Amino acid sequence: MIAVPKSTVFVVDDYAPVRRATSRLLHAAGFVVAAFASAEEFLAQYNPQSLGCLVLDLAMPTLNGLELQRILAKTGSLLPIIFLTGEGDIPKSVQAMKQGASDFLTKPVNDEDLLAAVRVAIEKNRALRRDHAELSEIRARLATLTPREREVLEYVVAGKLNKQIADELGTVEQTVKVHRAHVMQKMKVHSVAELVALTQRCGIGGSSR
Amino acid sequence: MSWITIVWSMNAAACLTLAAIYLVVWCKQRDDWVHLLFSCSAVAAAAVAGFELAMLRTDTVGQYEALVRWIHVPVWVLTVCFVAFVRRYLHAGRTWLAWSIYGLRTVVLILNFVLTPNINFLAITKIRHLSWWGGEIVSLPIGMPNPWGMLSLASLLLLLIFCIDATVTVWRRGDRRRGLIVGGGMIFGTIVAWHVPLVIWGVLNVPFFLCFAYSGIVLAMSYELSNDMLQTAHLARQLEASETDLREMKQRMELAASAAELGMWMWDIVRDEIWITDKGRALFGLAPSEKVDFNRFRNILHPEDRESVLQILENSLRTGAEYRAEYRAVLPNGQIRWIAGQGHVEFGGDGQPVRMRGCSLDITRRKQAELEAAHQRKDLAHLSRVTTAGELSGSIAHELTQPLSAILSNAQAAQRVLASGDADIAELRQILNEIVSEDKRASEVIRRLRLWLKKGEVQQHSLRINKVVRDVMNLIRSDLINQKVTVECKLARNLPMVTGDPVQLQQVILNLVLNACDAMTGCNTSERRLLIRTGIKNDGGSVIVSVTDQGTGITEEKMENIFEPFFTTKPKGMGLGLSVCRSIITAHRGKLCATNNTDRGATFYFSVPVEVSPVATPLPATPKVAAATEGGL
Repeated sequence: MIAVPKSTVFVVDDYAPVRRATSRLLHAAGFVVAAFASAEEFLAQYNPQSLGCLVLDLAMPTLNGLELQRILAKTGSLLPIIFLTGEGDIPKSVQAMKQGASDFLTKPVNDEDLLAAVRVAIEKNRALRRDHAELSEIRARLATLTPREREVLEYVVAGKLNKQIADELGTVEQTVKVHRAHVMQKMKVHSVAELVALTQRCGIGGSSR
Repeated sequence: MSWITIVWSMNAAACLTLAAIYLVVWCKQRDDWVHLLFSCSAVAAAAVAGFELAMLRTDTVGQYEALVRWIHVPVWVLTVCFVAFVRRYLHAGRTWLAWSIYGLRTVVLILNFVLTPNINFLAITKIRHLSWWGGEIVSLPIGMPNPWGMLSLASLLLLLIFCIDATVTVWRRGDRRRGLIVGGGMIFGTIVAWHVPLVIWGVLNVPFFLCFAYSGIVLAMSYELSNDMLQTAHLARQLEASETDLREMKQRMELAASAAELGMWMWDIVRDEIWITDKGRALFGLAPSEKVDFNRFRNILHPEDRESVLQILENSLRTGAEYRAEYRAVLPNGQIRWIAGQGHVEFGGDGQPVRMRGCSLDITRRKQAELEAAHQRKDLAHLSRVTTAGELSGSIAHELTQPLSAILSNAQAAQRVLASGDADIAELRQILNEIVSEDKRASEVIRRLRLWLKKGEVQQHSLRINKVVRDVMNLIRSDLINQKVTVECKLARNLPMVTGDPVQLQQVILNLVLNACDAMTGCNTSERRLLIRTGIKNDGGSVIVSVTDQGTGITEEKMENIFEPFFTTKPKGMGLGLSVCRSIITAHRGKLCATNNTDRGATFYFSVPVEVSPVATPLPATPKVAAATEGGL
C-alpha cells in the first residue's frame, strides 16, 4: 500500500467471511479499506507512512494479533490498532492495551462500536502524525542554534532574567540580549511564552535551573 | 484194544467234538457261514475216519467195495466245504478253480455211484491182510484200478493248485500267519491224500490214512477259528470296557452340561426334528413332551434378533462354518432370556446338510452385566465429553462467534448500503448469500455441540473414519491455532467402512489430539507438530488411526498406567480421558495402544475392525455440511 492522502482502515483477519463483512461495513460507512488474510500478508505491503488504523483479529495461525502489534511497535508505527477477538480473553486484552492498543472489541461487534472505534483511531492517528510533524519542525529549528544560543534558550525558558543569565555565563547583559533575539528569530516565536510551549514539547526546560 | 481202533476212533471223536462246538457257535451267529462250513468239514472228516476204520477191519470184498463207494460222500462234503471255507474265510482262491473243483468232485461222486463197484476199482478181487506196527493186522484191497479214478486224481490236483494259489494270495496280502496255517495245512493235507491212488495202484504197501490228512486240515482250520474267537472275545472285552468308559463319559458330560446350564440339541435337518435335552427344554421354556421343529425354534427367537440369527444359521448351513449366535429367546410366559448358541453342521455324502449338533447357554446374567457396563461406559463417556467441552469452551465460542460476527457485520453493512440510497443489488445479493452460509455454519457448530453433549444411546453406524477425523479437526481448529500447533493429516484414501458410534469415536480422537497438544506445551512453537494418520492394518481386517506428537514422550513407568482410570499427569486432569477412550475402543472391538517414537514424542493409535457386511448404510447422525469442512488446517 502506497501512502494515500486519505486515511485507510487496514483489516487483518484469517477468517474470510468476517474479513469480507468487516470490509463491507467499513466501506459502506465511507472508509477506504484494505483487507489482508494474515499478519504476514499485511507486513509485506505495509508502508510506515500509511495513514489510518488497523482492525486486527487477535487469534490467527502462525503470527497472531499481539505479535503483529509488537512488530509494528518496534518499527515505530503510528497506526492505532483496534483488536477484534472471538473470546473475551481478559489477560490478552490487558496485554493488548498495555502494548498501546487503541481499542479492544469482542466479536460479534456492533457497527456503531466498530465505526466509533475506527473514527477515534483515525483521529488519534491524525493527531499523532500532526504531533510527529510539529516535533520534527521544532527539532529542526533547535538544530540551527549555536551552542551559546542553546545555553541562553535554556536559561530563558527556565525563567531567568537577562541580568541573571549574563552573571551565570560570565558575560554582559547586552550580549545576552543579542543571543536572545537570535533565539527568538531562529525558533520563529514572538514571546517567551511561545518559546516555553515549543521547547516543552521537545522535553527541554520546565525545571528550574 | 488195538491202537488202530483207538487212534482212528479218537480222530473221529475229536473231529465230532470240534464240529459240535462250531455248530453251536454257528447257531448263535447264523450270518457267519464259516462256522457252519467248518462244522460240516469236521463231521465229514469224522465220517471219513469211521469209514476208514471199517475198511481196515473188513474181511469181505463186497463190504469193502460198498465202503469205498460210500466214503466218497464225506470226501465230497469235505472238498466242497474246504474250498468254500477258503473262499469265505481267507477271501482268496480263484472263482473258476473253485467251481471246477465243485463240478469235478460232483461228477466223481455221481460216477462213483453209477459205476460198479465204485470209481476207484473196476473190481476188487480179494482182501489181503497186512501185518503193521505193533502186530496189528489190517485189510487191504487187491483189484483192478478204474480208469475213471483219474478224474478223482484230477480233482485232487485242482484242489492242490487252488490251495497253493489261495495261500500265495493270502501271503502276499500280508496275512502271513493265517496263510501259512490254513493254506499250508490244506496243501499238506492235499499232498498226503495222494497216498490213496498210490495204494490203489499197489505202489505203496500201507493202509489208507486219509482221515489224518483231512483231520489235519480241520485242525488247522479250527486253530485259526479259535484264534479269531479269542480275538473276538478280546475285542468284545475291550468294547465293553470302552462302552463303560463311554457311558461314564456321557454321564460326566451330562453332569457338566447340567452344571454349566448347557442345553444340548441335535437338529435332524432332513426330517426337521429337533432333539433337545431337558435342560435345553427348560432353557427355551418348552414342555417336556412338546415336539420341536425348526419353525418352533424360529418362533422362540425375539423378533429383533430373528433375522440376524437366521442369517448366521443359513451361512453355517451353506459353508459349514461354526454356528455362533447370541440372541434373545421369548419364553411362553413372555420372559426374555439371552441365549448363546453354538453348533456345527454335519453334511451327507451328497454335500447336503443332514444334521446339526450344538448347545445353548443362558447368558442373561452376563448380558445384563454387559449392558450395565455399557451403560456405565456411556455415562462415563458422556461425563468425559462434557469435561472436554468445558476445556474447549473457548474454542467452541470462537467457532460460533466467527459466523455470528460475519452475519452481523454483513447485515449492518447492508443496512448502510440501503440507507445510502444507491443500493447495488449484486452486492446486496452477495451479502445475503454470505449471511445464509454463515448462519448454516453456526447451526452446524451448534448441532455438532448438541450431538457431542447429548447423553444418547450408543449408535451403531456405518461410518468413514476419515470423516470422523475431519469432524474432530473442525471442532478444535481454533484451539489448535491458539496453542500454535501445526497439524498434518495423512488420511488414506478408499478406506473400508467401520461400524461404530461417531460421537464416541470423535471423542477418542479428540482426546488423543488434546493430549498430544498438552504434551507439546513445553516445545518451541515451530516444534509443535502433530501428525494424524489413517490407514488399514496389514491383514486388512482393521482400520487404524494414529496421533503422533513431538512432545516429551511417555516414561516407562507411566506407560503402564496411562490407561488406568484416575491416572493423570496434568495438574487439572481428572485422569479419565484415556481410560474412557480405551473402554470405548474395546467396546468397538478394537485396540488402543501407545508407543514412544524413535526420535521424540509419542504415538497413540487405535484400530477398529472393518465392517463385515458389505451393505453401506447412510449416516443419518452425521450429515455432511459443506461449511463444516471449509478452511481446515
